[in-house]
Amino acid sequence: MTKLRSKARVKARMGMFFTLPGLIFVIAFMIYPLFTSLYYSFTNYNYVYDVKPIFNGFQNYIAAFQDETFVLTIKNTLVFASTFFVSVMILGLVTALLLFYFKGKDNLYKTLIFMPIVVPLSLAAILFNWIFAENFGLLNFIIGDVFKLTQFTYGWLTNRVTAMGAIVSVTTWSSLGFITILFLAGLQGISGDILEAAKIDGAGTIGTIFKIILPNLRETYVITGIWAILRGLKIYAPPVVMTGGAPGNATRVMYMHIYDNAFEFFEMGYASALGFILSVIVLSISFVNLKINSSKGD
Amino acid sequence: MQLSKRKYTNALLGFILLIISLSMAIPVLYAVVTSFKFENEIIGSSPTFFPRKFTLTNYQYIFDHKDVYLRYYYNSIIITIFSVLINTVLATMMGYAFARLAFKGRDTILGFILFIITFPLAVLLIPIYIMEYEAGLLNTHLGLILPNVTTILPFSVFIMRGIFKSIPIELEQSAEIDGASVFQTWWKVMLPIGINGVSITIIYGFYNIWGEYILAKTLATKASAMPLTVGLTLLKGEGWNYGILGAVIFLAILPPIIIFVIFQKQLVEGLTRGAIKG
Repeated sequence: MTKLRSKARVKARMGMFFTLPGLIFVIAFMIYPLFTSLYYSFTNYNYVYDVKPIFNGFQNYIAAFQDETFVLTIKNTLVFASTFFVSVMILGLVTALLLFYFKGKDNLYKTLIFMPIVVPLSLAAILFNWIFAENFGLLNFIIGDVFKLTQFTYGWLTNRVTAMGAIVSVTTWSSLGFITILFLAGLQGISGDILEAAKIDGAGTIGTIFKIILPNLRETYVITGIWAILRGLKIYAPPVVMTGGAPGNATRVMYMHIYDNAFEFFEMGYASALGFILSVIVLSISFVNLKINSSKGD
Repeated sequence: MQLSKRKYTNALLGFILLIISLSMAIPVLYAVVTSFKFENEIIGSSPTFFPRKFTLTNYQYIFDHKDVYLRYYYNSIIITIFSVLINTVLATMMGYAFARLAFKGRDTILGFILFIITFPLAVLLIPIYIMEYEAGLLNTHLGLILPNVTTILPFSVFIMRGIFKSIPIELEQSAEIDGASVFQTWWKVMLPIGINGVSITIIYGFYNIWGEYILAKTLATKASAMPLTVGLTLLKGEGWNYGILGAVIFLAILPPIIIFVIFQKQLVEGLTRGAIKG
């Protein structure tokens, strides 16, 4: 008995020893910054002019909602995130279903569909910048030179709507492979018995998809959903690289506004407050996604 | 009748998949083929997809200007290798503790880490920047390695925790009966069996750090310290030669592709080997 207990004690001590090195990283680069930033958000703190942060209550938060550009970036971010969410979830699900039902060699398809995963998002943005370029861009080349529809060639990145569309498309392109893998794993996890039973009951493929498969993917929706939401709301590299927020502020997103306030103007207090507003939006939307997909039908 | 209809449907599915696959692949292929073209062909009057005349001048240009281009690669390689190495050690240790070594407060720590990773990096960046500015770590490799490890650590710990949990406890007990210490059990029993999890951790870490942008943009403000995700975006303004751009992008995605090819085999092998022994 005492031997057992001492063994448990050794294990507990070793457990702490095994956890400690990683925990030091987490404390130094996550926990400490999180609370420091929370404190900064209630202060006036310009890193260039102020010696130290000066407490100013909720002033930064009030100022944030009076900052018209910031309110616009909230709107842009939500527009971007929801468009991206819908396109990547639908395309990912459809692609996974196609791969699931296709009988034959699909290795090449899979390799090509997953290929964009290896391209860093900022480099994908450079790549798409070039594709959407007005002169010598691939898209205008296909429209103008391949299909001879020169009247439809366009300056894709200089129009408000198409610029946002271009940013959605590069993010979707770079995320689709991963979302498809997750959906495919979810589909393969559905037990064959259920599908067999549906077949015996005389359900067609379309009926099976809508009545059996889609409702059974709930766990996958939680994971893919949260991933797409986080990626959408935290979007940064594509608009910076492709448009810099232009035309006007049409593609300026929250993350850009936070970044510029912090590292262009060094308004650390104000930028921290903006960061926490973004955090609240991220946390609440993630929570809603979790609630919707875990309560249904239980 | 029934059979041939099914055949047509399958052919249709294959055709749609082909279109999706091509539209996913074309942006990358276009960059690769353009990197082998002469400039007059890229911006000529009747461009073609494939090069009419094959050339390596764009690659030659990159190696002739190695201070600009190859410096970014060097930084990316150093930062990625060390971050992945440190992360793998930390995550396999922490993952084992969270899976098998119960101690007081363990689940609270786990839950808190889970909560904290949902926060956008934007809120952590400001104190990290100030901290590194005061410690003189801005524009250094170490200054990027440390926070990079922290961003990939939580998920890596979850991967390793899951892998270790799935290993039958009897294996661990028999090692203990043979007189192995906790450390020996971890190193000689758990790690070899969980090798597929280690591979996943390495791949996950590699892709994320190789492609990391925001930390690098904030903490490496001098061109000499930038990894390629940030460095290459700066070159955009300099009247891009698309041939060089294609070559640069091709070189930048080569390491992730190589990593995938190397570890794909080990992933499959690790999975089957683990299953047989378990």
